[in-house]
Amino acid sequence: MHRREWLTCFSMLTAAGFAGCRGYQYGHVIKPGAENLVGSHEAGAEVFDPLVDEAVAKFLARQQVSSEDCKIGPDGFPAKKTICFIGIENKSAEDIGDYKDKLYNQIDSKILESQSFTPISRRMVDAALHETRMRPDALMLPDNMQLFTAVLQRSGAPVDYFLYATLTSGTTKRNSSTQRDYELTLELTNVHTGAYDKLSSEVRKGYHKSAMGKIWNYNPLKR
Amino acid sequence: MIRCDPSRTPAAQHRAAILLAIGYLLAGLVSVSQSGCSTHAKRIAQPRNLFYDGQLQACRESLEKLSKTNRHDRDVVNLDLAVVDLLSGQAKQAETRLKDVRDRFDHLEQDSFAEKTVSMWTDDQVRSYSGEDYEKILLRVFLSLSNLMQDGMDAESYTLQIQDKHEQLAEQFESSSGKKKDEYTPLPLGFYMRGMLREATHHDYDDALRNYAIASNLLPNSEPLQWDLARVQSGVHSQPGHGVVYVFAMVGRGPYKVEVAEQPTSAALLIADQIISAVGPYKLPPTIAPIKIPDIVVPPTDVDSVGVQINAQRIGPTSSLANIEQLAISTFQANRNSIMARAVARRVIKKATIVAAKGSMDKGGLTAIGMDLAGIAWEASEAADTRCWGLLPRDIQVLRVEVPTGDHQLQLSPLSASRPVGPSQQTSVRVVDGQNTYVICWFPDARSVSQIMCSNR
Repeated sequence: MHRREWLTCFSMLTAAGFAGCRGYQYGHVIKPGAENLVGSHEAGAEVFDPLVDEAVAKFLARQQVSSEDCKIGPDGFPAKKTICFIGIENKSAEDIGDYKDKLYNQIDSKILESQSFTPISRRMVDAALHETRMRPDALMLPDNMQLFTAVLQRSGAPVDYFLYATLTSGTTKRNSSTQRDYELTLELTNVHTGAYDKLSSEVRKGYHKSAMGKIWNYNPLKR
Repeated sequence: MIRCDPSRTPAAQHRAAILLAIGYLLAGLVSVSQSGCSTHAKRIAQPRNLFYDGQLQACRESLEKLSKTNRHDRDVVNLDLAVVDLLSGQAKQAETRLKDVRDRFDHLEQDSFAEKTVSMWTDDQVRSYSGEDYEKILLRVFLSLSNLMQDGMDAESYTLQIQDKHEQLAEQFESSSGKKKDEYTPLPLGFYMRGMLREATHHDYDDALRNYAIASNLLPNSEPLQWDLARVQSGVHSQPGHGVVYVFAMVGRGPYKVEVAEQPTSAALLIADQIISAVGPYKLPPTIAPIKIPDIVVPPTDVDSVGVQINAQRIGPTSSLANIEQLAISTFQANRNSIMARAVARRVIKKATIVAAKGSMDKGGLTAIGMDLAGIAWEASEAADTRCWGLLPRDIQVLRVEVPTGDHQLQLSPLSASRPVGPSQQTSVRVVDGQNTYVICWFPDARSVSQIMCSNR
């Protein structure tokens, strides 16, 4: 090998060495009202925030209209209904990871802010589940319901309603594109009468292997 | 760099060439004395023996000394130190160390062309070590365990990080191998721990079911996992007045890397040819002498599980959830050809450099000998990269048992083919109503000193 060739090669290697360095990680605070990131592989804030907003808004609107079982308080005004938010069950195709507790808090806070209900603290709900050793999905059995509400009542939190939230999904596939419909359902059960109400909200989302997937599959001129 | 200046006399050129050769030789010898021939495997041998002898304090001192003297070993030595801390009751210190290494590994996962280039002129030991895939998962598993030994406040976060890492590794697997993401085999232990913690909330049985189901699919023959699945489908965490004891048993001595000299495989030569063609006008020689590469060693063990007794009542043996031996071997086999190819490419580049340097000077006999000696020293300074998390067990096993609340005597015995093969260890555990109590034990073999840690002691 000629010396010049060798020197050229050495220079190339050295230049490559100085050119590539490890980067650092940076962060920034997202301003209120700014767009959320759209998850490329699964649902995130862009799906869950509107799901919760819509479901809770529908739920509160309907409960304010229906006042057939409204109790009158000692002051002569309608008494607030006491609601026990049992939890969220994830039946969707995705693991929602740390979003589960966030969703619980989002729904719980919105109900509390509405002033239409008196929610029971999650810590009290957890303590009652712990004490009775009941599964959340087994509380609708009459004996279990009676025991569970009795424990909460003993703790100073009488219950009028149980609220369950369920996250479900439906998946449609077309070649390398996938559409997933996320649905959040709120189910309210009156523990005194057994009457129940149910409503839901939905967000649809598309996942594509290429940047053109969205245009190709959701082109308004198509079909 | 020496220049062949035609105005200089042949005698002056000859002297300059000899000086350069001596310079190379000295540099090579210094390199050999500092790092060449010495590998992580050799440096870690003494602390490892101290650890298995049960001399945790001496082992810690030896590892700390190693961490200070060898910059490139620091991260893996910190992992070993974290294990020593955890088993000597310093869970907080272990967690801190593991968090540092986790962040370092995350940073070092990015490619550095500078290191890649330098490693072509020296050896793979100068490259920063960002951990094998299974080490990255186990690091987070140990973070969870360290936290559970304290208050368990961050344990759920660490189990979420295990899932994130699995997801990331599966994506890397898809892009590097061209296979589908679903074909990546994750570590069942991470899913099991997530399920275990979600079940302990008494309300997130759906999460527990999802995670146990994944672990069960990965280990379809594990009977305890089937019990866990059945329990979270229709049962409860524990009956009123009862709590749960989880025994995490570290069984056997884990795998580690050693340096071996091997003949390059044809697959490795193919990759090496691509590397050297990319960096310059080099060609592979028709034959290559054996090259130094790392290899995995799994020490023999006479313990295959741990028998658990509570208050002298036999409960059963622990069940495997992380076969580290198998993971280490399969991970190494997947990377073996690339490691070998880099070693071949390095040899070709070094030889070509010496030849080019000799060609640039006069061809005097003494100069040529000097250059050849320098070349030999340069190649001899090369050593295989044997860095790895050395103080891992061969297998991580778990047993779950529901017991009434209160204090209980827990007895753990090393088993081989279901028969006790060594002295038992006893500890007292306090079980709290509706809560989990965690016990970590390590049985390297029937003779070595075993360690037991309990979360509520």
